[in-house]
Parts: sequence; structure tokens; C-alpha cells
Amino acid sequence: MDTEKEVTLSAQAKAVAARIGSLRDFLDYLGEHDQCVTWPDAVLPEPDIRNVSVAAGNNVSTGPAVIFDKIRGYPGKRVAVNVHGSFGNLALLLGMPKTTPVRELFFEIIRRWGSDKPLLARVDPKNAPVHENRIDHGINLYDLLPLYRINAHDGGFYIGKACVVSRDPLDPDNFGKQNVGIYRIQVMGPDTFTLLSIPAHDMGRQMLMAEQHGKPLKVSVMIGNHPAMPMFAATPVGYDESEFAYASQMMGAPLRLTTAVNGTDILADTEMVIEGELQLNQREVEGPFGEFPGSYSGVRKVPLFRVTGVSHRNNPIFENIYIGKGWTEHDTLIGLNTSAPIYAQLKKDFPEVAAVNALYQHGLTGIIAVKNRFSGFAKSVAMRALGTPHGTMYLKNLILVDENVDPFDLNQVMWALSTRTRANDIIVIPNMPMVPIDPAAEVPGKGHRLIIDATSFMAPDNLGADPHLVDRPMGPEIDALMQRLSELQKGGVR
Amino acid sequence: MKTICPRCESTGVTQMHAGMENGQVLWRVWHCKDCAYTWRDSEPAESIDPKVRPAWAQMKGVDFDSLRQVVPPARKPT
Ligand SMILES: [Zn+2]
Repeated sequence: MDTEKEVTLSAQAKAVAARIGSLRDFLDYLGEHDQCVTWPDAVLPEPDIRNVSVAAGNNVSTGPAVIFDKIRGYPGKRVAVNVHGSFGNLALLLGMPKTTPVRELFFEIIRRWGSDKPLLARVDPKNAPVHENRIDHGINLYDLLPLYRINAHDGGFYIGKACVVSRDPLDPDNFGKQNVGIYRIQVMGPDTFTLLSIPAHDMGRQMLMAEQHGKPLKVSVMIGNHPAMPMFAATPVGYDESEFAYASQMMGAPLRLTTAVNGTDILADTEMVIEGELQLNQREVEGPFGEFPGSYSGVRKVPLFRVTGVSHRNNPIFENIYIGKGWTEHDTLIGLNTSAPIYAQLKKDFPEVAAVNALYQHGLTGIIAVKNRFSGFAKSVAMRALGTPHGTMYLKNLILVDENVDPFDLNQVMWALSTRTRANDIIVIPNMPMVPIDPAAEVPGKGHRLIIDATSFMAPDNLGADPHLVDRPMGPEIDALMQRLSELQKGGVR
Repeated sequence: MKTICPRCESTGVTQMHAGMENGQVLWRVWHCKDCAYTWRDSEPAESIDPKVRPAWAQMKGVDFDSLRQVVPPARKPT
């Protein structure tokens, strides 16, 4: 239910949110903060774009977005990668300094989580930048987009970061049931593509419905979006909740919507929209694709779509992602929004939960900081985490640490593992649901879970020889001192 | 020499696009109608040379109808 609970933003966050209306605005803003570079050299689509993308993403703290505008064989075309590839870039989007610690970014997302006032503005299609150019005939995606192979053994050229809008085929007038999600798209013929979704996801569900009832399923593939869109389109919201509304709530600023020719809602300032229609019951050979667990998915039969029209801005930017063996932009893009709902769900029942870090490969590993209410309490919290919507499939390895251990600081987590883990006190739960593409599965979709309780022991547990913790100074005072030291370092003060 | 698919070695391949530089063709993109592999002839050998590509990635002789369905179709396509 919508209420009027709007997020309260800092002055800086408000200014940033008001200024960024599109990918272009964000790239400009990143550039002003040395977080976006234009690659100066001419590049071949393969392997140059792949290699530069990986190099940009290797610096998880402050790796820049990279724009390519000299792609050999694609004169005048542009590609942007790594836009969400560093926490520095995410911090800037949230109106914070680019050196903000990940823990603070997490709590900023949590703070915005409770807002539920949709902020959506309507733009007449005649005035929407996305409709500056329209192609209805002779469509060739290989000509329109500077496509390239993301990983060397992918089955083709993928669009890896598009936000796909679709209406419920049985309730096409319902705005809330309109779904926006990121799905991998392999370009096939000049005007066909496959779109991979599983029946458990919203899009897969809509495909099943359309084919069962012989109804059309129309989609709009939005490429090069407002940076909040890919960040929040990947967050699981309820089936009848709008991802557009959610993204605007999290930004605390209006998103500009317009209408695609096929009737779906799209972002008015998006770089390109490919409108397509599901070819009922038709399948094409798809894959492999280097996926987020760092291995190639198999070759399978996947639903096929035909392009019905393309709209794009003048001089559009093809925004894409490098994904594969981690760490990659995929991990940064969705990590905080994977962690936040798990935290919010746990916090309702267990106020002792202090923070959740599920940044690792879509939450295949999660670290929960919690204050033990009584001995063994952390294990109960772990069980509850496995029962959250995301935990059901994804949370494979869970590490529980004390509430005063920062789960985003892996040195502290290693301290907890080193000094608190008892090898005979780890829990393995066999034959649980598992992400089908996790190579650690016993069979695809089924595998084992691991819980490591690395919290401090408390009575009636045997406390060991010397259980008294050193009270390490921490908190805002230490943070301020660290900041001061770093300024002294920069300024070279003697 | 006739272009064949580097993955399944089919000859049923179609040119999708040609990239131009200074009025000359710099590369061509091909698509295989049998295994749906897409490639650019300027790519490194690991992607486009059947003699260099890993054995696991090759699909010569594979029955494409036997591949797993991710979303099973409701009916036979008309
Ligand atoms: Zn082939």
C-alpha cells in the first residue's frame, strides 16, 4: 500500500537526485568526480572492450565508468561499461563522498528502504528524448548497437544490463503488475533475440501465462538507463509492486516515464528501447554465457522474441556490463540491494541483528552481525535468514559474527573466524534448494548449506581459557580520526 | 573458401553485418542457423577457430532438439 512516507535526503543527496535524470547526466557527474573516463584509443570490439572492462572493475573502491567512442568498425557508436562497477560510483549516486565506507552505503540504503511514496512524472511521447529516432522497418540490431562478445566462450553477443519492461499478459492494464527486470539477452537474427528467465522469476511466469493462454507478451528492452533503474530493478519487490515506483522512492526524486509504441511504460530519457514480442512456443539455442558464479552456463533452449520497433536518442550510448569470475560490476550493482531486504526481514523478528553483508555473488555467501540474546541464538537467526525469500534459493554459506564486528570489513570477519569458530560446531544442511547455475550444486538446483557460528561463546557454553574481550576503540570518534589522518596524508602536513 | 560455423561446423551461416573503416570492410559478423553461434571474423582464435576452441564448447553432432528447455513451451510451435 502506498503512503506518503517520502525519504528524507541530505542537501547533497537532494541536489544529486534532482540533477541526475538519465545515464548521460550520471556519466557527467561521475566525470566531475574523476569517476568516468573516455578511453582514448581505438579499440576492437573483441577482446579490447572486455579487457578494459575487467581492468576498470578490478578496483572495487573507485574504479571508473569507461566510455568507448572509437570502436573500430562501428564509427560514431558508443559503449559505456562499469557505470556501477565501484562503490565509489554508488556513493556518488546516493549523494555521498566517493570514499564512503561500504557499511555506511548499506545503512543509507536501509534508511531509504522505508520510503514508499512513488515519485513518477509523465512525459508526452512526442517530447520524450527516447523517441528522437524511430525505426519500424529493416531493423538490424547488429547495425544499431556496437555489440561484442563479453566472455571468450559466450555463444554470441549479449545485452547484459538492459532493464526489460513487460505487462502481465492476462492483466495488461495493471500498472503494478508491469514488471521491470534485468535478464540476459542474446541477439540472434538481425531482428530476433532470446531472453532468459526461469519460471520462478516474474518474466518467466509471464512467458508461461502467455503461452498457456495464447496471449501476446510484449516487452520493452531499455538500454542505457537512469542509474537507479538497474540498481533497483534487480531488487525483489512483490509481484504487484512497481519497480519504477520503487526506484523513484529510493532516489527520492521523480523518474520520468513515457509510453513505448507497444503500450508499455518506459523511462523517457533512456538511451534506446527495443520493443519485442514473444514468439509463442518458439525456442532458440542459447548460451553458453559466463555467469555470476564465474562459470559458463550450459547451452539450452530459450524463448525467442521478434523486434517490432526501436526508439533511440540521438547518438545513443550502449551501456553494458562485464560479468564472469568475480569480482565484477554485477556484484557491486546488486550487492547492497541483496543485503538490504535480508536485513529488513531479519530485523523485524530479531532486533539484535546489526548488519547483513550479502555482497558475495548475489548472496551465495552472507555474513550476519548479531548480538547473541542467549547461547546459540545466532544459529536461530541463521535459520530465519534461510527462510527469507532470497535466502531460500541463494544464501548458501552463512557466517555469523558478533554485533560489534563489521561484516563489511573482511579483516574483522577473519578475526571472528580465527578466534570464535569451533570446527565441531558448524552446521551443514544437506539437499537444499540451490541456484541452478551454482557449480557447487550436487545436481543443478539442489545442494548443501553451511552455517558457521563465529559469534562469541556465552554461558552455558564452555567459555574457553580466556574469554575476556579487549574493548577495541571504535565508532564515530575513530572514524573521524581516520578521516583526519587521511587528510594529513594527502596534504603532506609535517 | 566457404565460411563454416566455428562451433558446429555447419555451412548454414549468414552474414549479419559488416564493420567499415575508411570505406573498407574491417570485419563481418556471422550467425549460424543450426547452433545459433554468432561471431566476428576479427575475434581472437579462442572464440572463432575450431582447432583452438575448447572441446567442451564445440557442438558438432549435437542433437539440438534434445537440449534442456528453460521455460517449457505450452504447445508445439505452429
Ligand atoms: Zn553452428
